[in-house]
Amino acid sequence: MQEFLQQVVSGLAVGGIFASLALALVLIYNAMGLVNFAQGEMAMLATFVAYALVNRGMSYWIAFPVALVLAFGGGIVIQRIVIRPVERAPILTLVIITLGLATLLNGLAGFVFGYVPRSFPSPFSAQSADVLGVFVSYRDLGVIAMSGLVLLAVYLLLQRTTVGLTMRAAAHHPEASRLLGVQVSWMLGLGWGLASAVGAVSGIMVAPILLLEPNMMQSIIIYAFAAAVLGGIESPLGAVVGGLAVGVTINLAGAYLPFVGGDLQLAVGLAIIIAVLIIRPNGLFGRAAVRRV
Amino acid sequence: MTALLELDSVQAGYGPTSVLHGVSLSVPAGGVVALLGANGAGKTTTLRAITGGVRWNGDIRFEGRSLRRMSTEEIVRRGIAHVPEGRGICTELTVDENLKLGSHLRRDGAEVRKDYDRVFEYFPVLKERRRLSASTLSGGEQQMLALARALLMKPRLMLLDEPSLGLAPIVVRSIFQIIRSINEASGVAVLLVEQNARIALDLSSTAYVLEVGRVAVHGDSAELQGNESVRRSYLGY
Repeated sequence: MQEFLQQVVSGLAVGGIFASLALALVLIYNAMGLVNFAQGEMAMLATFVAYALVNRGMSYWIAFPVALVLAFGGGIVIQRIVIRPVERAPILTLVIITLGLATLLNGLAGFVFGYVPRSFPSPFSAQSADVLGVFVSYRDLGVIAMSGLVLLAVYLLLQRTTVGLTMRAAAHHPEASRLLGVQVSWMLGLGWGLASAVGAVSGIMVAPILLLEPNMMQSIIIYAFAAAVLGGIESPLGAVVGGLAVGVTINLAGAYLPFVGGDLQLAVGLAIIIAVLIIRPNGLFGRAAVRRV
Repeated sequence: MTALLELDSVQAGYGPTSVLHGVSLSVPAGGVVALLGANGAGKTTTLRAITGGVRWNGDIRFEGRSLRRMSTEEIVRRGIAHVPEGRGICTELTVDENLKLGSHLRRDGAEVRKDYDRVFEYFPVLKERRRLSASTLSGGEQQMLALARALLMKPRLMLLDEPSLGLAPIVVRSIFQIIRSINEASGVAVLLVEQNARIALDLSSTAYVLEVGRVAVHGDSAELQGNESVRRSYLGY
């Protein structure tokens, strides 16, 4: 039982990482009906930026927010330069552009930082604490707390502020929002910035576990897709619940199903995607894809 | 009287299809003007041209300034509230959030609060449903929400696209009464597009009848109403 609970807690920790990236995917999906295949690579690049800052002697707790701010700005720049000119293009064009962007960012990171895996610092100690008889590592607790904070911040921004309100309005009803004076194109830019910053959190959280290198996010993005699809691709809350569920599931599967082990966890993530799409295509929190015309 | 809004031989269309072939009209400050005509005559396109939703030639002036090459957002910020066809309610948001979108650009906090009170006086049902999703409102209530939201923008001109569409006659009457009170109380001018010519002529002081993208008849609403041949040939009642 105790080991089971420990597996659940570390599952929640990786789940929080998936949830952040899944939330980034959902933010952009909501804004423009597009799955951003470059989200993982954007997060990876932001993590390299954080790494470079820490390497130059900046304290982790300063480098972290600075990297998020830069990721936010970078997301806006990408939307303005890469996405905006093709905003009205068919969805397939946009998908291919995000795939190209992913390749470009991956190559850029490799070119600048190289492909040698680097260890990335974690601000949390690797020791364990005894919580009601269950040993959980400070690292896991820290990751859970950080993801929780980020998700809470995004929630408050979107639900409780005027700019969040206009972002939601612009995403769902661009024409009506324009008539209310909302600058829809800028709201999309902000959406990309926000998604980029939220995704960056997942990269910075996962880097101490996986080692930092340009392909670091390529498995994480699969889990994030699984999380977003499980939660219902339009639902921010769904992304969070989906992320945690996927994290716990793959952790338990890795621990208790001998044929899965550490090697087939990714297959479990893919199996979740397929199962959800077959059994409940709208996910846990998604609405039926019926639109009034 | 000086015109608040002037359209000067406006031509507009969608791609190669031309819909307006030179529409001229004017709305005086504080006035109510009806824009009538059959389906496809160009009424909605006229409103869309005014708020920059469709490309146009000719000239459109608001408070003496041309709206040429302005984006929809800029035009709206100058004081034109456009309640579009289908009402433009954000059904993903709550009633309150929809109202907030109306007032989100205003910086005159005290006035905004007064306007909320006024809006809830006109439409008490919206106050009761503030926290509910706008998708739970009936058609009439959604039209009220659209009007309330437009009013909270504190416009000098409201463009209303078929506020009667799909509503029961009794609801239509009460909504038109409220439009009249809004116009009389706040002096906001109204350009009203309607299929329901009778009720629109009752409300407006001037009316224009569009026929395939041109103004076929225009004049005093009461006179048009009294003119049998105009009524028969253009207004269908």
